[in-house]
Amino acid sequence: MIRKLKELFKEEQSCQRIEMPIDKKMLVEDLDLWYGKTKALKNINIELEENKVTAIIGPSGCGKSTLLRCLNRMNDTIPSVRVEGKVWLDGYNIYDEVTDCVDIRRKVGMVFQKPNPFPFSIENNIYYGCQVNGIDVDKGGVVERSLKQAALWDEVKDRLDENALSLSGGQQQRLCIARALAIEPDVILMDEPCSALDPIATAKIEDLIDELKEYYTVIIVTHNMQQAARVSDYTAYMYLGELIEFGETTQIFENPQEENTERYITGRFG
Amino acid sequence: MSLRKLISIWLFVVSVVIAGMGFWAIATQAQIGYWTMAGSLLIISLTCYASGIHHYVTKKNRKSFLMLFYGSVVLTVAALSIYIPSVVDLRPWEIFARIPDHFFFSMFMVVIGVLSSYLSFRPFYDYKKEGAQYGAYYLLHISIFFTLLPLFIIIFNIITRGMGGITWEFLTEDIVRMGEDGGVYPAILGTLAMISLTAVIVLPLGVGTAIYLAEYARKGLAVRVIRTAVNILQGTPSIVHGLFGYAFFVLIVFNGQKSLLAGALTLAVLTLPIVTRSAEEALNAVPGDLRDASLALGATKWQTIKKVVLPPSLPGVLTGTVLGLGRAAGETAPIMFTAVYFSGAGTPSSLFRPIQALPYHLLSLYRLVGYRDVEGQAWATALLLLIIVLGINITAIMVREKYRQRF
Ligand SMILES: Nc1ncnc2c1ncn2[C@@H]1O[C@H](COP(=O)(O)OP(=O)(O)O)[C@@H](O)[C@H]1O
Ligand SMILES: [Mg+2]
Repeated sequence: MIRKLKELFKEEQSCQRIEMPIDKKMLVEDLDLWYGKTKALKNINIELEENKVTAIIGPSGCGKSTLLRCLNRMNDTIPSVRVEGKVWLDGYNIYDEVTDCVDIRRKVGMVFQKPNPFPFSIENNIYYGCQVNGIDVDKGGVVERSLKQAALWDEVKDRLDENALSLSGGQQQRLCIARALAIEPDVILMDEPCSALDPIATAKIEDLIDELKEYYTVIIVTHNMQQAARVSDYTAYMYLGELIEFGETTQIFENPQEENTERYITGRFG
Repeated sequence: MSLRKLISIWLFVVSVVIAGMGFWAIATQAQIGYWTMAGSLLIISLTCYASGIHHYVTKKNRKSFLMLFYGSVVLTVAALSIYIPSVVDLRPWEIFARIPDHFFFSMFMVVIGVLSSYLSFRPFYDYKKEGAQYGAYYLLHISIFFTLLPLFIIIFNIITRGMGGITWEFLTEDIVRMGEDGGVYPAILGTLAMISLTAVIVLPLGVGTAIYLAEYARKGLAVRVIRTAVNILQGTPSIVHGLFGYAFFVLIVFNGQKSLLAGALTLAVLTLPIVTRSAEEALNAVPGDLRDASLALGATKWQTIKKVVLPPSLPGVLTGTVLGLGRAAGETAPIMFTAVYFSGAGTPSSLFRPIQALPYHLLSLYRLVGYRDVEGQAWATALLLLIIVLGINITAIMVREKYRQRF
């Protein structure tokens, strides 16, 4: 009852809106984040281009994963986290009081560092997102479309009812990508998706990312600079919680403006 | 086979035999005389000397002095035990016991026998580390044997004495002449009804508490208080649960009337900590990755729990519950004030009427032993109770093994 009243009250506060710059999917504005008392992100500002791949690079512990998890509010699951600032998605602030995390995560999918399929059958893994979001679709159709998009269909089409844990690591990770694609998000976040995989599986996923950007906005965290150079259109370089430099990948790798970036890219530290 | 190996095997066999004799003497309270004990230890110590000397002569292995030293220790123990008085009186130390000398002699035989059989591996493997390792494994096996021994003795005892009493009549009839005749049919049904009802009550409560603790509660003061309370509940003697059940359920809730429901509620309080804990462990065993994966797909927290966390932890939850029920099935104290009559209650017919139950039946028969001819019936009841409790536990373990989830 009280909650209902509160919701009604909230609806009345008009949701913050802005006009998005052309071709931009997400804007991060003055974002600060604390884990308890330690500040992990310091005044981040970044503009993420639609239907492009943006890579986030930097030495480990610099806050890449933390920033990525801010983009679909996964940090809300950690009790000690406090966030200040704004993240705009299609003109809406996802940290607005009236926005629901569940809606955000439907629009912004995520693939984790370690493959984490559910211990269900392959098709139920894919269908899970539609089920929990009440998306009324043909199960077989969704499974086939997502697996094809994730370049896994040919390998598993005869064993859709097998447990997903029976797949190899690389297949599991592509299944996780397919699972994220099944609910047709706008943005896909990937946190070092290849770090647990062998080179062949890595190459497959890199090819996949290249294809995905036709339909999705992809943001990928990687500690592998060659990978960033290969797959991304834009690159953000972070250091100790700050965004040091952001620009087109070719510019960052060939002509970095900051000395810190240059040192990292030429491998002189980190 | 070399002489070295022969000596080692001889030492092993002799020590095992002597330890066995000592053990047998303790178990049967047979009186081991001084000379039997001293003779046995003398054989051991001479074998140790032989082994040590042979080694030193053939291999010049200084480690073989270990055997000479050990042989001397055994010899000294044997020699000095002549000074053990025939009865050691502990009363001056306010311990009201008197230990006869043959008890010490048997103890020496057991201890020195086990030690020597352990040491016999070392000369066999030429004093290498391998010998020590085999000896250690051997000691581990011995200790496992001693741990399991009482269990087997109890089970064997109950089976041999109870078998004869389990007849068709015993299983299908009510008590006749204070348990001298007839059987335990109402008590079997009563026990089964009671634990089923307990399960129905405790499962939602325990799983609910566990879900709250594992998934919702912030890991702070509140959780620690709840968990401590649960632990205290688990450590509480069952008689206290019984008195609580009487004071609260019987006197206040049910107007002074013992009943099936009051007993089941009391047993539910007793088993709640076991169920909560095992359920919490099962929930915590589900990796956090899976929760994140589900949330990242736009699932709500409750959907995540329902569809991702709960299914793989269900076998663990059920195993814990069934183990808890196994304990509840055998408890007497919690039900004696709250639910059961020795006779006259009949088969369970209503939640609000008292019942008969196997553990209480057993207790009542035990009280009658000496006045009435009920011993056979008591053993049979014990066997039946054992079968039920073991059956429940084995079911639990089988369920767990079958559905165990690997991530
Ligand atoms: N759950 C957490 N609780 C507290 N501190 C954290 C947590 N996760 C990360 N941090 C800290 O935040 C900083 C950034 O971490 P992270 O974003 O994981 O770095 P990266 O992904 O770049 O390696 C690190 O210093 C790390 O110790
Ligand atoms: Mg990281």
